[in-house]
This record gives sequence, C-alpha cells and structure tokens, in this order.
Amino acid sequence: MRIRSQFLMVAALAASVFSTLVQADQLDDIKKKGEIVIGVLGIDEPNSFVDPKTREFIGYEIDLAKAVAQKIGVKPVFKQVAVAARIPELQQGHVDLLAASLTHNKERESQVDFGLTHLVTGSKVIVKKSSGINHVSELAGKKALTVKGGTQGPNLLRVVPTAEIVTFETTQQAFQALQQGKGVAYINDEVSLLSDFAKLGAANKDYLILPENLNVEPLAFGIRKGEPRLKAVVDDTLRELEASGQAEKLFLKWYGPDSRIKFPKREFKIESDRVAG
Amino acid sequence: MPGRLRVDNATIHSLTPVFDFSMLLSGPYHHMLVAGLVLSLQLLAVTLVFAVPLAVVVALLRLSHWAALRWLGAVFVEAIRNVPLLVHMLFWYFGIPELLPDPVKEWLYARNFEVVAAIVALTLYTAAYMAEDVRSGIRAVPHVQFEAARALGLSYLAAMQLVILPQALRIIVPPLISQTLNLWKNTSIATVIGTAELMYQAAKVETATFRSVEAFLFATVCYLSVSLAITGLATWFHHRYPVRAL
Repeated sequence: MRIRSQFLMVAALAASVFSTLVQADQLDDIKKKGEIVIGVLGIDEPNSFVDPKTREFIGYEIDLAKAVAQKIGVKPVFKQVAVAARIPELQQGHVDLLAASLTHNKERESQVDFGLTHLVTGSKVIVKKSSGINHVSELAGKKALTVKGGTQGPNLLRVVPTAEIVTFETTQQAFQALQQGKGVAYINDEVSLLSDFAKLGAANKDYLILPENLNVEPLAFGIRKGEPRLKAVVDDTLRELEASGQAEKLFLKWYGPDSRIKFPKREFKIESDRVAG
Repeated sequence: MPGRLRVDNATIHSLTPVFDFSMLLSGPYHHMLVAGLVLSLQLLAVTLVFAVPLAVVVALLRLSHWAALRWLGAVFVEAIRNVPLLVHMLFWYFGIPELLPDPVKEWLYARNFEVVAAIVALTLYTAAYMAEDVRSGIRAVPHVQFEAARALGLSYLAAMQLVILPQALRIIVPPLISQTLNLWKNTSIATVIGTAELMYQAAKVETATFRSVEAFLFATVCYLSVSLAITGLATWFHHRYPVRAL
C-alpha cells in the first residue's frame, strides 16, 4: 500500500515536471482543440462587424482570419474584445490571435508579435465645418474626441501637444459626442473615419475631413510572444493570399471604390512585418 | 522549494517586466493619476453637497400629508433606484442635453460638461438612496413622541426640531455614511462619459505604458484608503453618538 502510494506520488511528480519541460506550443494547442479563438472588435466596419441579417461577424480581417484557420485546418471562433483590453486578452490566453484593427508600432513590439502588415492606414481628424478649422494645427487648445486605449489620442498630441483629448468607451460614442458638439474634432484611423463619414449620410456636407495624416498606421494580426510556429502559419497564409491575388480582391471587396468605404485604390502590398520606429 | 520559487519568478518576469514603483511616485504618469484622484474626490464632495439636501427634500415629500407629494417622492425614488448608474451617466451626457435649446447647449459644451453630467447623474442616483435612509430614520422615531410633543404645546416645527430630528439624526447618519461609501465607488462609473477621474486616468496610464498592474494598483490603493477612511468615520460616529433607546 505504502509502496504504491509512493509510486503514484513519484509518477505524478514526474508527470508534472515532464509537462512543464515539453510544453506544447500554441499551434499544437489550437490543432488539439480543433478551433482557433480570434479576438475581433466586431464593431469596426469594414474590418470586423456584425452582419445585420445573419448576426455573424463579417469583414476584411474576418476573411483574412478565416483563411488562417483554414490553413491550419481548424474552425475559426470569433470573440469580441474591447480596444483597451485586446492586448491583455491575448497575453492572458483568452484569445489565440488578434484580428482587432491592431496598429503595429514599436512600443507594442515588446508586448506582442505581429503578423505581416495587412492594411496600411493613418489617423485622420474630422471636424464640423462650422468650427472654421481647416488644418490639424488649428486644434491647439481645442477639445478632441476619440476612443479609450487606442493610438489616436497620442498621435494628435504628438502633432498638437496642447489639444485636449477626451476619450470614450467606443469610437461610436466619441463620434456621437462630436455630432452633439461636445468637442470640435473626432480622431480615428482613416478607414473607420471614412466609414463614420459615410454613416452621416446627407448630413456629411456639414463635416470636413482634415487633409493631414497624423501618422501612418500599419494594421497587423497580434500573436502572443514566443510562438514562432503560429506566426509562421499566419505569415504564410497572408503571403499566399498576396501571391494569388486573393488579398487584392479582399481589399477591393471591403475597401474598394464599390464598397461603402470607397478607398480610391490599394497602395500597399502584404509583404513585411517591419514598421518604422 | 527555493528552486521552485526561482522558476516562478522567471515565469513572472518573462510575462511582465519588473514592477515599476517609481512611475507611481513621480513623473508625468504620477501627475495624471493624482489629477484623477483629485477629480474623484471633487466629484464625491460636490455630489454630497447637492445630494444630501435633495435627499431630505425627497424624504419629506414621501412623508407628506398630501398624497400627490408622497406620490411624487415615490416616483423619484423608484424611477432612479431601479435604473443602473451606467444608464444614468449615458442618459445625462448623451441624452438630456440634446433636448436643450442650441445656445444653452453650446454654453454647456464649451465648459467641462463631462464633469457636470457626472455630478448630475451621481447626485440624483445618490439622493434617491439617501432619501430612503432619511425617511426610515424619521419614521424610526415613534410617532407618539411627536403627538406628545404637540400635546405639551410645542409647535409642529418646534416638535420636529427639538424632539424628532435630534433622535432621527443619530439613526440616519450611519446609513448616510454608508451611502457615501457607495458614492465614492460609484464615481468611477463616470469614466464612460470621458470624465477624467481616477479610473479614466488609470486606464490612460495603462494605455500609454502597458503597465496595468501599476496603474490599477494605484487606483485600488486610492479607492481602498478613502473607503476605509469613510468606514472608519462611520464606526467612530457610531461609538461617539450611539442611537439612544427609543
């Protein structure tokens, strides 16, 4: 009896040591689970949003993420994450991959790894024409509205240090606050901004998108640090999409002249995971 | 055991960089967090100044002789207490001001409307709860004392002032302090409408530095210390001014 319990203890100990030594990496875990959990914003047209008819997530990043899941051979499961919580969600393992309009910048490289840049955009500012503001520099001392936890606010402050930034839980609340006149400017990345501008409908004649780009923002998938095999699969998928011309098609589907966003043309290629510092 | 400990530390270090205390004690992030704490305390103070008198008025409405006034008080309390504070915040920030005429709106929005809306929402929400405590306190003094006071020849006001309220006050203050504690924690909800209070600043520091633990630890310590101070005040009051046997 005693010998048996000792044997069990040793076995349990060995098992625990063994499991920590040969820890399977995330790609193996995903394959074992048969599904990949992808963190998406879900309210950011056209990257990821809910189709009003089917109640499913659709969008540019959704399509790209589905291609990654297909490449691994597992089921994609989309989980909605908040802008401010998306990186912690990834770090804590609540999601396997972030497809959440995530800007790839140098500061974040110490927190997460990034896939190849799949969209290049920039932050822009929209104002009411009645404010009389025509250039970003005129925002000095003025109240500008944006979402919590994003790069938009800091980007404006880099250009106009004296602007007063007020942040909200979602971009739509910040945009609502602009429409109600609670600030003179609303900052968002170009894509979302064009989408918001389109949502105004006929009222958009009272608004002006300022010409200056506050910065260049490369969007990429976020991958937990130290998972080179998962990153390789993600990057291979994106390279194949680019080579086959499928990436171009997806861009045109969601961003092109015939989409609601109406980007004139695609001025980038999916090829690099480097960003300027 | 020491070996085990080393592994754990290594794991922690690989996940997050070492805890950085200095950013909490000085520098720009320190200033942001302290500014948030100050605004949170201001929200607490200003809301109390408005909420307590309003609570007394509502309590008196609910104790009125006239049914219409009682009904008015009841509607205020029920309509406000049964709606989450988050909804109140968004309602007073995004909803109500849109009904105002344009010049008033512009005047309001040119100021720090994020703070004003937060104070309005917190005041109404807190007053609804406090009104019920005040009402219970007054009702806890047996009505026969009031009748006896009147029988001795005191006027209505004198009976209230000399007999009922001094006793009711001792009963009311501890629950009011407890509501103050709730109010202190509730100020954090104002972050959703862009009020730059403690939670807002903590989230901002977290975004700028990725140091969640430090930023939210600062907020936790602030909330905890003020909360404990309020609890301490309640305990002190209870010992210093115990409720007398009725």
